[in-house]
Amino acid sequence: MALSRRLLLLPLLRRGGCLSASASPARALSTAAVPADAEQEEAVTVKGVRISGRPLYMDMQATTPVDPRVLDAMLPFYLSRYGNPHSRTHLYGWESDAAVEEARARVASLVGADPREIFFTSGATECNNIAVKGVMRFYRDRRRHVITTQTEHKCVLDSCRYLQQEGFEVTYLPVRSDGLVDVAQLADAIRPDTGLVSVMAVNNEIGVVQPLEEIGRICREKGVPFHTDAAQALGKIPIDVNQMGIGLMSLSAHKIYGPKGVGALYLRRRPRIRVEPQMSGGGQERGIRSGTVPTPLVVGFGAACEIAAKEMDYDHRRATTLQQRLLNGICGQVDDVVINGSMEHRYPGNLNLSFAYVEGESLLMGLKEVAVSSGSACTSASLEPSYVLRALGVEEDMAHTSIRFGIGRFTTEEEVDRATELTVHQVKKLRDMSPLYEMAKAGIDIKSIQWAQH
Amino acid sequence: MAAAAAPTRAEVMSLFRSLLRTARQFSDYNIREYTRRRAADAFRENRALGDVPAAAAAFAYGKKQLEVAKRQAVVYSMYAPKAKSIMEMKLQ
Repeated sequence: MALSRRLLLLPLLRRGGCLSASASPARALSTAAVPADAEQEEAVTVKGVRISGRPLYMDMQATTPVDPRVLDAMLPFYLSRYGNPHSRTHLYGWESDAAVEEARARVASLVGADPREIFFTSGATECNNIAVKGVMRFYRDRRRHVITTQTEHKCVLDSCRYLQQEGFEVTYLPVRSDGLVDVAQLADAIRPDTGLVSVMAVNNEIGVVQPLEEIGRICREKGVPFHTDAAQALGKIPIDVNQMGIGLMSLSAHKIYGPKGVGALYLRRRPRIRVEPQMSGGGQERGIRSGTVPTPLVVGFGAACEIAAKEMDYDHRRATTLQQRLLNGICGQVDDVVINGSMEHRYPGNLNLSFAYVEGESLLMGLKEVAVSSGSACTSASLEPSYVLRALGVEEDMAHTSIRFGIGRFTTEEEVDRATELTVHQVKKLRDMSPLYEMAKAGIDIKSIQWAQH
Repeated sequence: MAAAAAPTRAEVMSLFRSLLRTARQFSDYNIREYTRRRAADAFRENRALGDVPAAAAAFAYGKKQLEVAKRQAVVYSMYAPKAKSIMEMKLQ
């Protein structure tokens, strides 16, 4: 058996050898460039940049890879159990509905809620829209004021701006330089006609964790619903809607190793918080969100929540260790590195660093082998620095050079070391070329320079 | 339902070896490393479990995870991208 296999191999090898010889009969005398060897053929060329392989992924706040256990739970609902959960008359509908309700219970138990308080949506953005616009429109006769912070996610800020156009008033609370909201200031801002307080749990850009219990307590005392965007917090820090006095909460699946395209809105029953639905239709999800509930996505979300409940401690310990490793590695080799946001009140998987005297876009261009995000929007169309960093009081030049490292469940020590190595190498290279850095090292205060006008 | 008996040492070692072997079959660098590391950490943590129902439950959970891992190793290999992660390439 083994002998015949070996005999089969020999002609194959020779054939392979013959092919390469016949492929280049004309090339023996040509002066054209030598064709790339097999290893380089695996290289990826996108947007004119050539990298030798798939970059190492450190952008967990943008999205997370789907956990294989989640995919395993979802696949049957794409293959044979494809029924619509709202079909009441046959097995396909019944089994689909049972799966949806089981997933609902899993999501609810991760946050300490009742399954009847969970409504599936298409993601945290839709949840934020329903929460902000839906609550205020429902209570539009008596409540005309919304309180939020300057570091909220764009969808919350945009919904608030939309409400302002409809005639509501919005207070955008500033944050301190460590990213935390001043709770006393929040309490002062609450008026008799305040209909909603919206403060996100964990910030997606800087990773800062807001004091949810305190805010929830104040809102409960003053009788104002408390909404929190917990997309980045779910499954990462322990959330208990009763302990934290949360009235509405936005949840997203693709931040906790679940599928993209699904999220859930938590809506308190006691005391009942009412919202005006933003999606009109057949009245699914108790009329809060019409539309067929996507069974495979919802099942994936439920599986992701179940896994997160089991793995939260382990993942948190690991993220803390890896973040320390990354910080020590970078700060030990380069100086003038600033951490954006509080270190004490932080989710360890999110590290936002600014490197002084380095230009942001060139730093990112040199870090193509690490998939990270910048804190500024300079990678997108506009050159504006990130509004979150601006709210922290970070100067524009530092905001432009900020990098956000995301550490997740699947990040390895070797990846952290490689990211450190690549970042340090790129920062040192850019600083060597930077005249501003030379001046700073010579002791000149750059801010005091009077630049000559030409 | 009859209470499950505690797994023998041989059974536990066999399950651990199977998990590590299945981990090696993942084409994705991150999933492969995670499976190997998580299995090792879980077995190490549960080593001290003297309580029979807890040990039997942990063993049953481990067996279920092995089945999931086996299926997913096949699925991941069917859709493996052509370019490997740079972590798997030789240092340049």
